[in-house]
Amino acid sequence: MTRRGTARVQGYALLAAVSLLAALALRRPEVAVVAAPFALLLAAGTSFSAEPRIDARLALSTTRTLEGDDVEAELALDPGSAIGRLEVRLDLPDDVELVEGRRAFSLALRAEARPVPLTLRCARWGVFDVGRLALRATDVFRLVVWERSLDAPVLLKAYPRLEPLRRVVSATETQAFGGNEVSRRPGDGIEYADLRDFAPGDRVRSINWRATARRQRLVVNQRHPERNTDVVILVDSFVDLAAGDRSTLDDTVRAAATLATRYLERRDRVGLVGYGGILRWLRPGMGAAQRYRLIETLLETGVEPTFTWRDVNLIPARVLGRKAIVIALTPLVDPRFVTMLEDLRARRFDLVVIEIDPSAVVAPGPGRGGALARRLWLLEREVLRGRLERAGIAVGRFGDAASLDEALEGVRTFRRYATRARV
Amino acid sequence: MRAGHGVEHAGLRVAAVAVVGLVLVLAVGVPGLVPVPFLLVGGVYAAQLVADDAPLDAAAPAFAAGLVVGVELAYWSLDERDGAKGEPGDDLRRSAYVAGLGVAALLVAAVVLALVDAVRARGLGVDVAGAAAASLALLAVVLFARGRGPAG
Repeated sequence: MTRRGTARVQGYALLAAVSLLAALALRRPEVAVVAAPFALLLAAGTSFSAEPRIDARLALSTTRTLEGDDVEAELALDPGSAIGRLEVRLDLPDDVELVEGRRAFSLALRAEARPVPLTLRCARWGVFDVGRLALRATDVFRLVVWERSLDAPVLLKAYPRLEPLRRVVSATETQAFGGNEVSRRPGDGIEYADLRDFAPGDRVRSINWRATARRQRLVVNQRHPERNTDVVILVDSFVDLAAGDRSTLDDTVRAAATLATRYLERRDRVGLVGYGGILRWLRPGMGAAQRYRLIETLLETGVEPTFTWRDVNLIPARVLGRKAIVIALTPLVDPRFVTMLEDLRARRFDLVVIEIDPSAVVAPGPGRGGALARRLWLLEREVLRGRLERAGIAVGRFGDAASLDEALEGVRTFRRYATRARV
Repeated sequence: MRAGHGVEHAGLRVAAVAVVGLVLVLAVGVPGLVPVPFLLVGGVYAAQLVADDAPLDAAAPAFAAGLVVGVELAYWSLDERDGAKGEPGDDLRRSAYVAGLGVAALLVAAVVLALVDAVRARGLGVDVAGAAAASLALLAVVLFARGRGPAG
């Protein structure tokens, strides 16, 4: 621990020294008598103070939580000997609130371990180091101070809160594994598809006896099998528009976590691509383990400023499969991401765009010029949406005006009519 | 007031300046300047002693105790700016400590005054002893100021 004297040391020494010198100069012993208590205090305080041995650890009841949920924690203080006064300062990240307890407090410690209960709350998703502490111990006379900072990382992961979502968007193509999506191809399943003539190997229970009676030959039912699909969630991390405690990146990550969870519940394979200053991806996978991998990757999402244009070819084919539905979450602000979307569509990927509406976080400028500029900006965004829809990309808007459910409903409606138009 | 009127009026003015100075120091929050107003008050006391020229002032221990309590209270008010709130009962314990410090200062000063009265020595030896004590006090300040850093 770093040891230093407090301001009292200099003050007492100055008073004692000046008093003694004055007593000598004026030849008055009473002035020296005034110096005596200060000198004695100085001698006693600096001589008999021993460095305290303090061990402090912050333990969390859980290392994973949801944003906005409380986490119980305990700060264990273990002094080797009694300490007159110990000041503790918790250096918590900005997004971590202290629900119970104080960030800075002082206490007198006996020579025994003492737990200090705390309750933390993460205001937003992310990975937070809550283990940084500053300790300051003073002796009884408050002449000597020992200081120490503890930097042992204690990571708390706050997962994004899920948005309410009842139905997801179905992919055009299915995969070979069993799932919840009705495939277009005939096979073994529940949904009725068609009739065909009996072939050797067909099951007797699949014979349609009415059709057989009509056609005078054995006819069997064909059904649509339930298959899973591949889903790739494409997150735009080029830009984050924020105002107060709202930000487009927060909404993007929450929407991505919600979609990933819902698709994984349907036994679909879900992958993730973070497209921005840092290009990162996660191969499609299934199950609870994949959900944790996806969420942990999303927690690392952040905006890294860059002027580089990135090509979609950089994303491996095993991540961005041809039959996968690609759901892009973007505020449609950065032209690089828009160009990439058009590139994907031109390569005939099954693409859906969920626009993270930034109009709520972008305030209009002052005066009439500011209001006019905002109107022009909103019109430009309408034009961009129209351009994407003419290219066959369904665009749903998620924000203050529309929930994720409503955004996906708009996408489903567009895809339904767009599909009919193609036929 | 035993001193002459001139010294008395000057002393009152200096004491008033010291009080105002102390209030300013506490308001601005500069711990290094806390001793200055108390040195001024001490100077007024010393001037009164010289002006009175009495053999030995029996009120010296009370003055010393008052000075110690005043200095400690001044530092306490600056400590409170730190923002680290204490436990319930901390203020009471601190008040008891300051009161105890005052009593201890009174006793120590009284013992020293009694010793001085008993010895009543003058001459080079006493002067040397006083100079040595003052030098030791200054040396302690210098050593402590230079001794900042990791302990052990």
